[in-house]
Amino acid sequence: MRSAFEWVDALPSSIALRESLNAYPTLLTTHVVSMCLFAGLIAFWDMRLVGLTLRKVPVSNIPTRLFPWALTGYGINLITGGLLLYSQPMRYYDNFYFWAKMALMAVAGFNMLWFHYATYKSVQAWDQGREIPMSARLAGVVSLALWAGVVVTGRMMAYAGLMPEWWNNLNIGA
Amino acid sequence: MTQSFFEWMQGLSFSAWMLEETWASPIIQCMHLVALVAFAGAVLVVDMRLLGRGLIKTSTARLARELDRWMIWSFVALFVTGAPQVLSTALKQYYSPFFWWKMQIIVIGLVFTFTIRRRVAFAEEGTLGHWPKVVGVLSIGIWTSVSVWARLIGLLS
Repeated sequence: MRSAFEWVDALPSSIALRESLNAYPTLLTTHVVSMCLFAGLIAFWDMRLVGLTLRKVPVSNIPTRLFPWALTGYGINLITGGLLLYSQPMRYYDNFYFWAKMALMAVAGFNMLWFHYATYKSVQAWDQGREIPMSARLAGVVSLALWAGVVVTGRMMAYAGLMPEWWNNLNIGA
Repeated sequence: MTQSFFEWMQGLSFSAWMLEETWASPIIQCMHLVALVAFAGAVLVVDMRLLGRGLIKTSTARLARELDRWMIWSFVALFVTGAPQVLSTALKQYYSPFFWWKMQIIVIGLVFTFTIRRRVAFAEEGTLGHWPKVVGVLSIGIWTSVSVWARLIGLLS
């Protein structure tokens, strides 16, 4: 794994991106704005499932009408995040919050798929009503927590000095 | 006058505590970002509806009414978590053009949101021609630029 990160780090295009004055601010700013589009819409979908807001909007309306926009934001987020990683792979290799963010994103993705292929199949039965099944509410709560965790760990990546002690003891960067 | 006010803010014991306490700034910044996501979602759902996109089967007025409190409370959270960051880095903010642009656009955004946007969002559907679309684009533009300037304070100041 480390050698792959080092290999990317030494690529001329990675170095060029890293040394560009404008690339980092542009990529990071676009990353934050696209996060707002993606996470902002997903948060209200999750809160609809939990029953915290938009209770008069049919549940099935949200994936149909909002997900294309949320996925656009997610796509831009993935591209800019990928380029940020590509430009400074060794900065992130031993960063606890980077790996925590990747893990949380993977679990959030799994939660989405599980919800889509299991709970959401019966949406017609609870689309209009206020009584949302417990499994859907649970998926909403879990999703809210996971995406909040992604946002938090993403911000914490800047704090290389605040890694947990046990992580530092693993000496991954050495 | 303004500079001395910022020097006074920077000199507060709270500002010193923010800088000395290792976890204070990261925790507040994380909370600020979570509040930003909630604010963006609440604004976007209504703005997209104004543009004729998103939740078009629900009236704009109903969406605006339901999401109003989310927008207001998440903005309050943004303010509460943003103020300590300004206090602890007051002079950095003072000398950053992005900070001043951000503040100016926030004021414009607040006035716009609670006057024109509110009036258009709560108006009867189909009575205002193209104005809802204009308002939706302006609202998205205003709040996007706020987050762009905010991000650039930390990166380029």
